[in-house]
Amino acid sequence: MFTATLRGMLAHKVRLALTVASIALGVAFLAGTLVLTDTMRLAFDQLFGKVSAGTDAVVRAEAAYSQSEGISTSRAPIPASVLTQVRQADGVRTAEGSVSGYALLTDNSGRAVLTSGGAPTMGYSLPADPALRGDVKLLTGAAPSGAHQVAIDATSAEEHHIALGSTIKVLFRGPTQEFTVVGTVGFGGEKNLGGTTGAYFDSATAQQVLGAPGLFDSISVSADPGVAPADLAQKINTVLPDGAEAVTGATVVKESADAVNKDLKVVTVMFMIFAGIALFVGSFIIWNTFTMTITQRSREIALLRAIGATRRQVNRSLVLEALLLGLVASAVGIGLGLLVAKGLNLLMGAVGFSLPSTSMQVEPRTIVVSLLVGTVVTVLAALVPAHRATKVLPVEALREAVPGAGNPTKKRVISGAVVTVIGLTGLFMTLYADLSMKLFGPSLLAIIVGVLMLLPAAARPLASLIGVPLRMRGLPGELARQNAMRNPRRTSSTAAALMVGLTLVVSMGVFASSLKASFGDIIGDSTNAALFVTPSSSQGPGFSPEAIKAVQGVSGVDKVSASGWGQARFNGADSSYSAVDPATATAGLNLRLSAGSVSDLGTTGIVVAQSAATTHGWKVGDSIGTEFAETGKHTMKIVGIYDSKGWISDDFVISIAAQTAAAGPQLINSGLVTLLPGADRSTVQKAITAALADHPDAKVLDRKGFEKEAGGFIDKLLTFVTVMLLLAVIIALLGIVNTLVLSVFERTRELGLLRAVGMTRAQVRAMVRWESVVISLIGALSGAALGIGLGLALSQALADEGIKAISIPGLQVALYVVLAAVAGVLAAVGPARSAAKVDVLKAVVAD
Amino acid sequence: MSATTTIAPATAAARAEGISKFYGTGDATIAALKDVSVSLDAGMFTAIMGPSGSGKSTLLHMLAGLDRPTSGEVFLGDTQITSLNDKALTLLRRDQIGFIFQSFNLLPTMSAAENIVLPIRIAGRKPDDIWVKSIVDKLGLADRLSHRPTELSGGQQQRVAAARALASRPQIVFADEPTGALDSASGTELLGFLRKAVKELGQTVVMVTHDPTAASYADRVLFLADGHVVDEMFEPTADAVLDFMKHLGA
Repeated sequence: MFTATLRGMLAHKVRLALTVASIALGVAFLAGTLVLTDTMRLAFDQLFGKVSAGTDAVVRAEAAYSQSEGISTSRAPIPASVLTQVRQADGVRTAEGSVSGYALLTDNSGRAVLTSGGAPTMGYSLPADPALRGDVKLLTGAAPSGAHQVAIDATSAEEHHIALGSTIKVLFRGPTQEFTVVGTVGFGGEKNLGGTTGAYFDSATAQQVLGAPGLFDSISVSADPGVAPADLAQKINTVLPDGAEAVTGATVVKESADAVNKDLKVVTVMFMIFAGIALFVGSFIIWNTFTMTITQRSREIALLRAIGATRRQVNRSLVLEALLLGLVASAVGIGLGLLVAKGLNLLMGAVGFSLPSTSMQVEPRTIVVSLLVGTVVTVLAALVPAHRATKVLPVEALREAVPGAGNPTKKRVISGAVVTVIGLTGLFMTLYADLSMKLFGPSLLAIIVGVLMLLPAAARPLASLIGVPLRMRGLPGELARQNAMRNPRRTSSTAAALMVGLTLVVSMGVFASSLKASFGDIIGDSTNAALFVTPSSSQGPGFSPEAIKAVQGVSGVDKVSASGWGQARFNGADSSYSAVDPATATAGLNLRLSAGSVSDLGTTGIVVAQSAATTHGWKVGDSIGTEFAETGKHTMKIVGIYDSKGWISDDFVISIAAQTAAAGPQLINSGLVTLLPGADRSTVQKAITAALADHPDAKVLDRKGFEKEAGGFIDKLLTFVTVMLLLAVIIALLGIVNTLVLSVFERTRELGLLRAVGMTRAQVRAMVRWESVVISLIGALSGAALGIGLGLALSQALADEGIKAISIPGLQVALYVVLAAVAGVLAAVGPARSAAKVDVLKAVVAD
Repeated sequence: MSATTTIAPATAAARAEGISKFYGTGDATIAALKDVSVSLDAGMFTAIMGPSGSGKSTLLHMLAGLDRPTSGEVFLGDTQITSLNDKALTLLRRDQIGFIFQSFNLLPTMSAAENIVLPIRIAGRKPDDIWVKSIVDKLGLADRLSHRPTELSGGQQQRVAAARALASRPQIVFADEPTGALDSASGTELLGFLRKAVKELGQTVVMVTHDPTAASYADRVLFLADGHVVDEMFEPTADAVLDFMKHLGA
């Protein structure tokens, strides 16, 4: 049986190649994701390891709690006096205080050295003792010394042509200062630290510009020879005052790596979803291929049965075929996965998420998982067709086999309808009734699955409808329409792959379009600012409060309302919060308070969102327990309740002063500028632009520009998602090619007959082409319809978050449908050619 | 041996002039037809007979433009078809020739009525309804028109094929073992119809068969053996044909 299996597979090379390709692409995505994330993880681990190599122990303030999100837990600084105590501790060879903080480099002409994707721009103290520098190495020049010297990362120096000896401005949270560049710094083999920029100062200067005099963020300690890091930490702990702790360097590395891995997990899950979609779509093609092969081989199978092969043997032979196919395809997929990993990395870079890299990491786990998933998906998709094959009766070997039409069973239609209705009911209940939003996702899924089940029943009428214009193309058009209708199961499972792809692409398009359309409304409703001060790099972490001060001084400006952002615990739960300036907030912002007043915020007041207030039964005057990682517990009093559906949408709003007190000084995220009566907006904008020349970390936009920038970001994300989903669409097109190849093969005699009675080659080609177009349009139109529906549902679900406008990108959807039809034509090129080449005599002369 | 008919271009619906057909190359070359010249008169029912491997089907394929001879020329009416390109040949088959094959004659997706007008529809023309109806009536298919081929018996399917062959008023109808897959009653019915088509409608029919009874419906029988036309017989009877075939050693 095994030889028969192998021969059967090799006999149809095109089919084999297409099926392998459809699985391999999905597996490649999976393998690529694993390779990429493993590579990134290793890169980060190496990075953290390198940076703190040589540091045996770290002394730092105890955190009130460790944050569940974010790169690392923020801590309060420790007084310089602790350093003296640490130095006296047993086993300490040397100890130095370290400080880090926001520092934005500028180039020789004063332009900001921006990072892509919001990677931090940092300043650090460079330890005097090289052992404590770890892998932070001076590549050229000397270590900075004194209040006017800086060493910068080598990438910034090279890319922005900042030569040693040149004088540049560096922006801080506080005032901008000028420094002479005295050295460049590298990190192990890298010239930058994972896409960030770095400015290095001596310890005293770093305290001055990054933190505060007399305070350190932490103290790095190197042990005496023979003292183990754990012992060292323990020894230091005995001399430390309350609120400070000593941990080993390895602990710090692990904490940092864990924080990054958490973020990477999100990336992994995201890619896995796309890989899953690709595999899901690929499984339709496998299903189709096996169903068709079995129909075609029913005589062969019947013959095997007639000469004594048992049902079990037939079944096993087919499952074995799927197994082999799955293994080979998965192996090919793993190979392709390396390319995919590179491609994904480039794509991430292109949309602004550049990641550190190291050599590609192909772990055994990647290979095992990819092989397993690819093979299991293939075998699963082949199980039902293989089972069907066992029902071929031996007597069929003697009959003239007519490929079955395969009408969908009533049972399947009914269960499909039931699933769809359940999904729709769930959807409407979550949107308009009180059903939990947790059921929103499952409802969408139920609708997609239900529609997939119904598609075979809809395929015939759809093909009939879509094929109507084909009648004008004469008989080839009419035959194409009939061919698409004749086997609704096959047509639908071919079109289904495309439908899934298009549903996702279109729903994302509708959602993004609604989001963009709503954005203008959100801005209009919640702010009356004329101009917007934002970070220079659109995903940047923020800008220095100095920029706000500069803008305030511009003539024509009435008020600048700054807002910032942070994370803390409120009432025991981690949440993000916004920080506003109570003095200016009402000028630019419309917070729509239902009770209380923003001006009462002070340093202990808090404004909460209506939804949170309702949930917890809070009212103005109540107290909320808050906890900041830096400073621990505080009690804040509710001074207002707002609707949280506008410019500011966090559940909690505190004053910037309160934020500074509880979490230390932070960057500003935006500044809303209102103008004095009679001031001309564009004149003021120009003046602000000029004033910001010394603050290149911020820029000013008018409302149109701001909306455009926000829209541009949404577009970028949409492009990213679309590109990811494109793979599923490509696999779906391979499926169309596959189906056509098999159909042409199956209809050899028919084609021969048509050619004999006078159909020209061009007409035959047209017939196959139009069939392909009909199938792609079934997939594209049903996908577009479903996608629009799901996109609207998604937008509706987020109406509470401010997506109030509904916008269907009609042109874009139409373009997708047209592209699908064109792709259908392209998919048909090969099959049409082989159909036209059918040997008339061989086909019509009885064998 | 050389009892070929004299060539009479004026009345010939189709003719072959010195056609040979070789398959394979070198030592493996097999000659299916060796320098055959035949002329098939218009308005006549001609049967081509011969033992297996005599080249009778090959000759039919050449005459019908389904295959090309290695050498020699084939004429349909006054048109030399041997040098036509694929497209011209296809259009010629569509417009001037009707076909009935042994099996798999019909498109499974189309009804009987649609199958009948298939070549006309391929050409993008409107069928002559009165003409088609008269053929359908003659074949007794009137109540079967909406059926799909799978819903028809073998005999009915073959009659639909015959109707299709005649529907476009071709110059000539070629039938390749049309009764080969039919029971004798259905076969008789079909042959009777072909006979009628010739007698009453003046249709030219050329049929390849190995069945002497089928051949007896023809006006003329051409006997092929070993790639040559060896003899012919006019107004044949089944017994006479059978005798001759025995004589040929079939």
